[in-house]
Amino acid sequence: MNNSATELLVSATIEFLQSYPPFDRMEPDALQFLGENVRLAYYPQGALIVSPETGVVRIFRILQRGKVLVRRAGEGSGNEQSALTLGPGEGFSIGSVAAQRSSTSIYTALEDVFCYELTAETFFLLMHKSSVLNLFCTQYLASLLSQSRQQLQQQFSQHVAEQQTMNSPLSSIIHKDPVSVSPDTPIKVAIELMANRNIGSMIIVDAEQQPVGIFTHSDVLKRVVLPGIPLDNPIQSVMTHYPRSLPFAANAYDAALAMAKHGVRHVLAVDEGGCLKGVVSERDLFTLQRVGLRQIRQTIDSATSIEMLLLASKDVRQLSLNMLAQGVGAEQITQFISALNDTLTRRIIEINLDKHDLYGIEWTWLSFGSEGRDEQTFSTDQDNGIVYICTDIMDREQTQLRLLEFARDVNADLDQCGFPSCTGNIMASNPNLCLTLEEWDEKFAQWVSAPEPQALLNSTIFFDFRPLYGKFNLASRMRLSLLRLTRNNPLFLRMLAGNALCVLPPLGMIRDFVTDADPEHPGTIDLKKYGARLFIDAARVFAMGYDVSATNTVQRIKQSAPLMNISPDEAAAVVDAFNFVQLLRLRHQHAEQTQGRSGDNLVRPDDLNEVDRRILKEAFRQARKLQQRLKLDYKL
Amino acid sequence: MAWFSRLFAKNKARQEVVLSSEQRQLIKAWHDLPAADLDCSHRRTRYVVVDIEASGLDTNKDHLISIGALALVDGMIDFKDAFQVVLRQDQVSSNENILIHGIGGLTQSAGMDPVEALLAFLRYIGKSPLVAYHAFFDQSMIEQAMGDYLGMEFGRTWIDLAWVLPGLFDFQTGARVELDDWLELFGIDNFLRHNAVSDAYATARLLQVVIAAAIHQGADSPGSFLKMEKARRRLYDSL
Repeated sequence: MNNSATELLVSATIEFLQSYPPFDRMEPDALQFLGENVRLAYYPQGALIVSPETGVVRIFRILQRGKVLVRRAGEGSGNEQSALTLGPGEGFSIGSVAAQRSSTSIYTALEDVFCYELTAETFFLLMHKSSVLNLFCTQYLASLLSQSRQQLQQQFSQHVAEQQTMNSPLSSIIHKDPVSVSPDTPIKVAIELMANRNIGSMIIVDAEQQPVGIFTHSDVLKRVVLPGIPLDNPIQSVMTHYPRSLPFAANAYDAALAMAKHGVRHVLAVDEGGCLKGVVSERDLFTLQRVGLRQIRQTIDSATSIEMLLLASKDVRQLSLNMLAQGVGAEQITQFISALNDTLTRRIIEINLDKHDLYGIEWTWLSFGSEGRDEQTFSTDQDNGIVYICTDIMDREQTQLRLLEFARDVNADLDQCGFPSCTGNIMASNPNLCLTLEEWDEKFAQWVSAPEPQALLNSTIFFDFRPLYGKFNLASRMRLSLLRLTRNNPLFLRMLAGNALCVLPPLGMIRDFVTDADPEHPGTIDLKKYGARLFIDAARVFAMGYDVSATNTVQRIKQSAPLMNISPDEAAAVVDAFNFVQLLRLRHQHAEQTQGRSGDNLVRPDDLNEVDRRILKEAFRQARKLQQRLKLDYKL
Repeated sequence: MAWFSRLFAKNKARQEVVLSSEQRQLIKAWHDLPAADLDCSHRRTRYVVVDIEASGLDTNKDHLISIGALALVDGMIDFKDAFQVVLRQDQVSSNENILIHGIGGLTQSAGMDPVEALLAFLRYIGKSPLVAYHAFFDQSMIEQAMGDYLGMEFGRTWIDLAWVLPGLFDFQTGARVELDDWLELFGIDNFLRHNAVSDAYATARLLQVVIAAAIHQGADSPGSFLKMEKARRRLYDSL
């Protein structure tokens, strides 16, 4: 290498780069490093530079001369609205290089193009050297993330629009001709046919092709194998008579409703003459994602038994997973889960009210913790309680007993429907959590006046209460007296702030993340304890300090920010950060559950791609900012 | 061939070249390098683009002052693979000349010992195909210096973009087209005109354009450039 020639070329390159952001602000050392490590490449007009087919993008390019056209892959060249032109000084494609994935866009030379090229390895080295570039890329990626999320949401709203076509007739859903047998067919033949055709149900028709019965997969076990019915018996001896059928012209919604109402998984479609035309299964409706929020709500609202609600709770889960897969943001998903879980819980309460006489008692079902904050993830256990009014003429013990019996049934039903009982016994059936308004007030007052560690821990669970069923004004009265208590007690708020500062964001001094907080799970970060909670705890202190009655973390931040002189931009950054942590939790739980595990919050930063790692780091920085604010406000 | 006779004429007048055994060994090592495969593809060829500055434009009287060179590997210019040297001058070139290339008297007399400078150049280029615009001038000056200082026949084949380009692009044929015209056509800037490295850098980018166009026309190796050049010269001579 001859230094003087290289120096000359490098300095000419640096001079060029310095006229463009972010290189104009870049540290001299980093700029020198960049200049020394680029190579100049040429692409003639029309040449393809990067596309999804060219594989993982291993080169970062900065345009030196000429223009590059960027199109989203999969769109024709005629669609110019979404196309973008890059000019000299612009770099591409940061997202793909950083995430070490292939590009989703197609880059072609619009004119003869010269560009500086940097290998991915050198690009990463440069990111370490230059905090300017680092910041630039992080901000760029963050904007990219919100862009892609917007796109995904748009797509999702299209899906929702498609889902409105629940009016579409059954004829458009049914793709296969029905498979049917006559009533006297031996069971063996029918089952063999089902296995060979890989179908879940067999329809039994009479000579006029009128359906007279249905026999499904689950019937094989319950009606044939277990009772030990001989396989050469006729199928009509084990089939379900009078299967539910709908006219061929009925729509998908009718089918969904019929299934929910009667608790069946198959509905037959018949023509005017009553002849079998096809079978619609529950799976047809769900795999086509034709059941949305409204439909599930209707299913829940019309449910009359726990078995039907159990099915609905599975739908809730399935639909929220679909939403996750479709890129819907964490805030929407957690609220969605909470909303449907609320509906589900209300229905369970209603069903149990039929069996319990609570006449004359004013009471409210409360939810605490994540449910109280509207922030439920896929793995959620029960956190609930009851507040009631005990008038002078009522016997307190008797009243509580009636409520407790009722609560026990509700808790058990919730447990059946996928909300496991709380290990800490934070449930309405716990006599300590089924209290009168005065008792709750007293309990809260105790915690606030003597903020010992256990009292502080309780505050973080119970102060996020929200009414779910019954007389909501009881909860409002609880909230008012709680705010009155905390407002006049700076010492308690200071203790609560101190408690929020016990856990620090897992940002490393040398490495990006601290991953050894839990010796049993090295290499992981518990994103509940060391992620979401950092935001939740800080937001709670803000809300209580500034009389904000919301319990939802995002709402607490948004509502207290103006009172604390935090700019909307800063508040939005915090909200984004919190939502990102929640999104990672949801994604992780989803992945865990699809592999049959229970779904913890232990995320391994090494498994994240570069984009997610960077955003997570930024999210922790936002958490640190929140904590610094707490320290400042409460002189901790 | 005028330059041949000049070379012989000079040879007679040439002073005895005195080299150390180490220097002689370096020259031998260079001679022993295998020749570049001219049929190998552009991508796999290391081209060296050369530009020189001299005390004037007369190949008989003037002498070499500076060499700038850049390599083109895998179609790309790597700044770390670049070369520049100023040969120490016993006699500083004229003021007018200095104004052209900007290599002042002090720099000229503080340059590298010509023998060492040329040996470094040999080491840098190896047997890579050499490329220049109006290669005759660069070629003559370097060959003359190689003879004068190293007592060797340089004898390299050069690719002359001035002859290759008209075969690929339909642009002002016939008239004597200057490098600057081509650079302007392709929008290639030259940050420091008449600096050997900067000129070589501009020429190297021109070579990138040429290679892309040549591949498009099926000329996929350095050898094909030589053929194109030959055909062009023949055409030109017959006109």
